[in-house]
Amino acid sequence: MSLSVILVKILEFMFVAGWAGTAVVLVLTGIEDVGTLLDREDEHSH
Amino acid sequence: MSSTSNAPTGNNRVRIVVATSVMLTFISYWRAAAVILNDLGSSAFYAGGIAEQAIGKSAPWFVLAVMLFAFAVRAVYVESCSMFVRGGVYRVVKEALGGTLAKLSVSALMFDYILTGPVSGVSAGQYIAGLINDTISIADAHGLIPSAVHHLFHGTPQVGTNAIAVVFAIAVTLYFWWENIKGIEASSEKALWVMQITTVMVVMLLGWSLFTLLKVGGHLPPFPTLANIHYSDTSLGFWKHSKLPHMFGILGLIIGFGHSVLAMSGEESLAQVYRELAHPKLKNLKRTAIVIGVYSFVFTGLVSLLAVMLIPDDVRVKVYSDNLIAGLAMHMVGPQVLRLAFRAFVVVVGFLILSGAVNTAIVGSNGVLNRVSEDGVLADWFRRPHKKYGTTYRIINLIVGLQLFTIIVSWGNIYTLGEAYAFGVVWSFVFKTISMLVLRYRYKGERMWKVPPNFHIFGVEIPVGLASVGMVLLSTAIVNLFTKSVATVSGLIFSAIFFTIFTFSEKVNRRKHAHTAAQMKEQFQLQQAESVERETVGIRPGNVLVPVRDYNTLNHLKWVLERTDTHEQDVVVMTARISQFGAAAYGLSTEQMFSDYEQTLFTRAVSVAESFGKKISLLVVPARDSWSAIAQTAHNLDSSTVVTGLSSKMTTAEQAFALGSAWEAIPEPKRQFVLQIVQTDGHVDTFRIGPHTPAMKNEDVVLLHRLWLNVTREPGLENIHHHDILTEALTRFAHDYGARDRDEIVKELRRHNVAGGPLPARTVASQIPTVQPNPARSSREDGSSSPEDEGSE
Repeated sequence: MSLSVILVKILEFMFVAGWAGTAVVLVLTGIEDVGTLLDREDEHSH
Repeated sequence: MSSTSNAPTGNNRVRIVVATSVMLTFISYWRAAAVILNDLGSSAFYAGGIAEQAIGKSAPWFVLAVMLFAFAVRAVYVESCSMFVRGGVYRVVKEALGGTLAKLSVSALMFDYILTGPVSGVSAGQYIAGLINDTISIADAHGLIPSAVHHLFHGTPQVGTNAIAVVFAIAVTLYFWWENIKGIEASSEKALWVMQITTVMVVMLLGWSLFTLLKVGGHLPPFPTLANIHYSDTSLGFWKHSKLPHMFGILGLIIGFGHSVLAMSGEESLAQVYRELAHPKLKNLKRTAIVIGVYSFVFTGLVSLLAVMLIPDDVRVKVYSDNLIAGLAMHMVGPQVLRLAFRAFVVVVGFLILSGAVNTAIVGSNGVLNRVSEDGVLADWFRRPHKKYGTTYRIINLIVGLQLFTIIVSWGNIYTLGEAYAFGVVWSFVFKTISMLVLRYRYKGERMWKVPPNFHIFGVEIPVGLASVGMVLLSTAIVNLFTKSVATVSGLIFSAIFFTIFTFSEKVNRRKHAHTAAQMKEQFQLQQAESVERETVGIRPGNVLVPVRDYNTLNHLKWVLERTDTHEQDVVVMTARISQFGAAAYGLSTEQMFSDYEQTLFTRAVSVAESFGKKISLLVVPARDSWSAIAQTAHNLDSSTVVTGLSSKMTTAEQAFALGSAWEAIPEPKRQFVLQIVQTDGHVDTFRIGPHTPAMKNEDVVLLHRLWLNVTREPGLENIHHHDILTEALTRFAHDYGARDRDEIVKELRRHNVAGGPLPARTVASQIPTVQPNPARSSREDGSSSPEDEGSE
C-alpha cells in the first residue's frame, strides 16, 4: 500500500469519524438551541 | 488640584490614566445577526454555482452539508467567546499555540478577508452583466433592437460579463476604499436594513420556487455518490492525473465538501460582534448563532438545491453558474416581464449585500491588521493616522491595493476567486479549532460553555465534539491542498508573504519599542484603570472635558485654557482609541493603547498647557466610536462642559446631534452637560446635551402668559403658576400623542418642519382674550418665570 493511499485512508477515517461526532454535536446543540429560543426571559429585541 | 496634572509628579513624569475597557454601544442579537449575515449570507449568490462547476450536479447536497456543518463551527466560536470576550482567531491561536502560529493563522485569515472583497464585487458585477445581457436578448427576441445595431454587433449586442464584473468590482472597491479612508462607521442599522430587504427577496424566491415546483415538478439533484460526482478539469488540482479521487468514495465526498466550504465564510464575524452584544451576552450570542445558522442554511443551502431542481441542465452551468439566483428567477412560472422584474430585484439585493461584503472585507482586514500592528507584529508605519481623517490609511491602502490586484489578475473569473477563497476560510477554522482543543487542557480560566459531548476517562476530559469538528476541518483542509491548486499556490504565497512581513516587522518593532518605551517612561507615567471614574482620574465634578485626536488641531484646547481657571475647574484632555467592528474583538494592553502616536499627541497637549502655565489631566479611552466615548466619559467624570474642535466631516449641528444620540444611549441616571464647538475662525457654537429648558420664542411666552391670566381667573386657581400651565399642557400633549391624535400631531409638526417655519403660536395667542393683569398676582408668581413674565405681572 503506497504512502498516498495510507494518507487517503487516514483522511477518510478522520472525515467519517469527525462527521459522526459532529452529528452528535448538532443534535445536542440543536436541543439546547430550542431551549434558548423558547427562553425569552432575558430577550432584548430592539 | 489633583495629582493627575501635567505638573511633574514625584518622579518628574506626567500621569496618564489609560482605561482598558472599550466603551461600546451594545446591540441586540438581531442586529448582530444582520452584521454577520451581510458577509455570510452574501455567499448564497455564488457558492452554489462555484461548487457545481467543480463537482457537478450533486453540488447542492455538499452546500447543504457545509451549511449544516457551519452550525458545529458556530458552536466552536460560542465556546471561544465564552472564554475570551475577544475570541477571534488571532487571540485564541496566540493563547493556545503561541505567536508564530498566531501569525500564520492570521495570514490565512487575511487571505480570507482580502478575497471576500474581490469575490463579492465580481459576483455583483456578474449579476448586473447577466441582467443587462438577458434584457437585451429578450428585447431582441421581441424585435426591439434595430437591425442596424444587430449588424454592428454581428448579432444580438452583449456586454462582456467578466469585463463588466471587473469594472464594477474595481468601482465598488474604490468607493469603499474612500469611505474607509474618511472613516465611515460600520452601522448595524444599515446591516439590518439590508437583511430586511434580502429577507423579502428570500421569502419571494422560496415561495415562488415552491409554487413552480408544484406546477411543473422537478427532480432532486443526484445523491453524492462517487458515480454522481463529476470533477471538472480544474477541480482535482494536483490530483488531476492521479487515480486516487476515482478510487475512494469517501475521498470524493471530502473533495466535494472542500469545494463547497467557501459557503460558510464569515463565521469569524461572530467573534467580532460578541463584544458589542447586549446583556445577557452568551445567551444573545447563542441566539445570534441560531439566527445566522438557520438563515444561511435556508438561503444558501436551499437556493443551491432549488437552482438545480428548476434551472434546466443545458443553461444552468453554461449561462447561470455565475449568477445562479438570477437563473432561478428566470425559470419560475409566470409572465416573462414579472420574472425579469424579479430578477432585477435579485440584482438590486445582490448589489446591496455583496457591496456590503466588500466593505466588510476592508473593515475586517483593517481591524485584524490594526490588531496585529498594535501587538507589534506590523510596523508602526502602517498605523500612522491620516492627516485629515485620522484613519489608518496605509493599512487600508495596502488592503485595497491587494484587492484591486486580485480583481485584475482574476479578470472577473468568479470560479478562480472562489477556489482561492476557500483556502483562507478552511485554514483559519482549522487553526481556531485545534487551538480550542489545546485550550481545553491549557486554559484554566472561566469557560461558560463547552461544545458537547465531553467525556471523562480517569479524570481526563475527552472533548469528543470539538475533536470531531476539528477532524472534519483538518481532513478537508488537507485534501483541499491537493485538489485546489490555485488556492494552495496563491494561499501559500500570500500567507508566506504576510508571515514574513509580520515576523520581520515584529523584530524591528521589538527593538524600536524598547527604545520608545524607555523614552516614554522618562516623560509619562501610565496608570491602568478598568473603567473611567472621576476618582481614578483625580478630578472634581463640573470639570471641562476636551477630546483631542489630531495633534495639529489643538485650537479648542487653547481656547479652553485661555478661559478656564484650572484652580477652580479641572480640565481633562482625552483621546479615544477607536476599535471598529473588525477590531473590537481584540483586547489592547496599556502599552498598545498608548502608542507613539498618543505619546506625540499628549506631548503637544502638555506643551500647550505649559504655555498657559495651567494644569491638565490626561486620559486615553478605548471605544467603539468616538461620540459614545465622549458622552460616556463626560458622564463618568461628571463633566459640566465638553469642548471640541470642528469636525472635518460634520457641521456643528451634526456633531451636537451625534453626541446627543450617544448621550441618549447611556442608561439613567445621567447628567446633562454643555457642548461647545470651537471653529477654526474662533467662532464657538454652544449646545446643551440632554434634556434642558428650551429657548422659548416670544410668541410662546405671550401665549403662556395669556393662558395663565385666564386660568388664574377661575375660582380656586388663583395660585396657579406659569409652570403649572406648561405641565398641564405637556401632560395633555403627551396623552394626545400617545393616543388618539398622534397622527394629527405628527402631520402638523412635519408640515412645519418641512416648511421650515415656526408653529403658529402667535395666531393661537391672538385668539385668546386679553385679560388685564391683577397686580396682586405678581407676588404669587415663582422665580421660574421668564423675564417677559416678570415684566407683565
